[in-house]
Amino acid sequence: MSTQVHANATEEQVREISDQLDEPEWLLETRLEALDALDDLEMPSVIRTPGRTWTNLTDLDFETLVDPLNAAETKERVDAEGAETLEWSEALAEHGDLIEEHFGSVVDPEENYLTALSTALFSTGTVVYVPEGSAAEDVTIRTEMNSRSLFNYTLIVAEESSSVTILERQSSGDREARSASDASGETASVDGERYYSGVVEAVGGENAYVQYGTLQNLDDETYHFSFKRGHADTHATVNWIEGNLGSRLTKSGVETNLVGEGSETKIVGAFFGHDDQHFDIDSRVWHRAEHTTADLVTRGVIDDDARSVYEGVQDVGAMAWDTSSYQRENTLMLSDESEADASPQLIINNHDTEASHSATVGQVDAEDLFYMTSRGTPPEIARNQLVEGFFVPVLEEVEVEELREDISDLVAQRLRE
Amino acid sequence: MSSEEHDLQDTDTEARFEFKKEEKSAFEAEKGLTEETIRVISEDKDEPEWMLERRLRALKQFKEMPMPTDWPGAPDLSEVDVDEIVPYIRPDIETRGGVDDWEDLPEEIQDTFDKLGIPEAEKNALSGVGAQYESEIVYQNMQERWEEKGVIFCDMDKAVQEHEDLVREHFMTKAVPPSDNKFAALHGAIWSGGSFVYVPENTTVDMPVQAYFRMNSDGMGQFEHTLIIAEENSEVHYIEGCSAPKYSEFNLHSGGVEVFVNEGAHVQYSTVQNWSKNTYNLNTKRAIAEEDATMEWVSGSMGSKATMLYPSTILKGRNATDNHITIAFAGEGQNIDTGAKVYHNAPDTKSTIESKSISKDGGRTNYRGLVHIADGAENSSTAVECDALMFDNESTSDTMPYMEIEESKVDVAHEATVGKIGDEDVFYLQSRGLDDDDAKQMIVSGFIEPITEELPIEYAVELNRLIELEMEGSLG
Repeated sequence: MSTQVHANATEEQVREISDQLDEPEWLLETRLEALDALDDLEMPSVIRTPGRTWTNLTDLDFETLVDPLNAAETKERVDAEGAETLEWSEALAEHGDLIEEHFGSVVDPEENYLTALSTALFSTGTVVYVPEGSAAEDVTIRTEMNSRSLFNYTLIVAEESSSVTILERQSSGDREARSASDASGETASVDGERYYSGVVEAVGGENAYVQYGTLQNLDDETYHFSFKRGHADTHATVNWIEGNLGSRLTKSGVETNLVGEGSETKIVGAFFGHDDQHFDIDSRVWHRAEHTTADLVTRGVIDDDARSVYEGVQDVGAMAWDTSSYQRENTLMLSDESEADASPQLIINNHDTEASHSATVGQVDAEDLFYMTSRGTPPEIARNQLVEGFFVPVLEEVEVEELREDISDLVAQRLRE
Repeated sequence: MSSEEHDLQDTDTEARFEFKKEEKSAFEAEKGLTEETIRVISEDKDEPEWMLERRLRALKQFKEMPMPTDWPGAPDLSEVDVDEIVPYIRPDIETRGGVDDWEDLPEEIQDTFDKLGIPEAEKNALSGVGAQYESEIVYQNMQERWEEKGVIFCDMDKAVQEHEDLVREHFMTKAVPPSDNKFAALHGAIWSGGSFVYVPENTTVDMPVQAYFRMNSDGMGQFEHTLIIAEENSEVHYIEGCSAPKYSEFNLHSGGVEVFVNEGAHVQYSTVQNWSKNTYNLNTKRAIAEEDATMEWVSGSMGSKATMLYPSTILKGRNATDNHITIAFAGEGQNIDTGAKVYHNAPDTKSTIESKSISKDGGRTNYRGLVHIADGAENSSTAVECDALMFDNESTSDTMPYMEIEESKVDVAHEATVGKIGDEDVFYLQSRGLDDDDAKQMIVSGFIEPITEELPIEYAVELNRLIELEMEGSLG
């Protein structure tokens, strides 16, 4: 399969993309190295149990999905006071050294096959730079995908004692937007299956605070891969909100590396799958210093034939004294044809640790439903309200209002479809 | 020999588990595993043709299957070279299939089991006892009153001859096919000894049946097979104990256990495993529970260098129940990778898994478990609880549960905690006059108490004694 994709991503393409973005030599080199590495890299890990593979990535037909030179999107960046929110070329021009310092330092481009592919081929990107001591709220990046494939890159650098809240969202453009891009000279049709790939790196400096939220609502023919990782320095906090509603198949990894003493992270997830959607959501935290704290909370609902896969990892290193690490995952099944798989994992190498995890799968609570219907609420409405209520603990963690409201609205809308 | 082992040698309990007898065997298969070896084993046992065929087929599967090396965090099995172990040793006794009086056993074997306290236990609390020394059952006895009711308890080799139809139907066909994993295939090729238990309809065997397995030779492999068939509305409790003295070469234990729990029957299978710390303990244990049946697994894993053991239950009939209780204790150089597997394949099925693990002095424990609820298994429920206690910073404790839920009308819950021995708890106990060792021992006993209280009293005592032994003199 590797060779299939490879056939579609060539050195010339990579050079052309890099050239169009006016990139420095080091970045072109990094891209070409990633391209070279494709042959030797594995797909992102997926869980296997006897006789079953939880997510099948190897049968994806990337050949027909990857079309790097015809990337098209509509991007909107809402700047916030206290931070610079820059599109890729501009960022390279203004903060070349900063980018060179951090690019690939949190997510190794050669982490796996799909991150390498993304590094080699990304044609659009954003840098959010929060200088020392400043505070910014509600930085918003909206991406509308209008092409067969789109490779996106985001770098967040929050310097010492700065703070920032960010929302980055992905959706698919409507058909008119897509044909507009056709009209620009390309004959390739963008009907049918598509591929979105995004890599996010977040650098939380000493005592910095970052909350990065995402809302993925791509159309139901889009395969979606995203990989996000943050480094939290001394006393820094890097928090993630991972919202998934769209796509046909999602493979998402959200990770925090607690490298600094006293650093913290919260990884909050919400998903709602229906039809035959497949979500594979991984939350992982690496405790690599003393006095670190992690809280992983994911809540998901699946309906129709949808399938969810959750992997949560709390990895406590031998040097991570005085660790606190908690994880909760809850899945609600609304239909009998859906499937929910979960594997919360604890890997503990330091005994000075307080760690726990829990996972549940079930239906809307029958007693709650009975109570509500006995008070006169029609069953359908009662169920919807209970599902909306199920997401409340997750929504309460979201600081960017647009993200909170939109997840809430999209859940309400999907329940009433 | 480490100083820890040296300290342990002076205790009585040590003497019970670590003594070793000079090897003296009538027949020893040549090292290495070939079709020829299999034929010799089968012929020596005078087996029917179908059993030889099953062995040869399993051998073929064994050679084709990969080692389980791609499991995240799994024990290192690179040292396990099957060609290096002696797969089949039969102790030097006249009577095939074992004697039924301890007095008839060769003295050194008698002495071995005396030290283990088996005959004593038989007198007091057991319905039947089987004892396996190396590859063959050397002693087997069933109290008369059970025999009269049609309960069968005999060694597996004898069962192949005397209960051929039952064995042929159930032996590695439905519960543990050789294709299940590489070591099940190996087991299928060279199994020897083990127990066969048959409990007729509506019969309750109210005292436990016990088998004791022991490896005494160097570079030894033990591959006993246990087959339990509990007919409708019957009840039996089977206890398995294992131990081996320590040698420089590694030993391999790869047992197979198959349990058929028919409608309304109730089987409890308890194991306390204390293999020496050079033993690789790679077992496959599986039960199939029919309608209204109950299967209970109780496992204590104290010994071995590396254990990979995940007793599993297939809840095949409506309203079947499975309960798992496991305790793992990993000390220096030990990697205990254990857990449970449950397949809910019918409506109204229930399972609970309780796991407690303790790691110290660089030991590594891993809970690895799978709960699968098939589509259509309505109103099933499962509750998994894993707690781990860590003594020091050299030790590792992993928890890797997997849940596959294909049915929506279910109640699935999993919980796990990991923590260290609380300094405050130790301080409190010390302030009440206990020394550091006793305080920690008491905390560990308290930690596993919810499990020991489910065990028959003799086993709870034995388990506590083993833990005491593990902890003695080794705490700073």
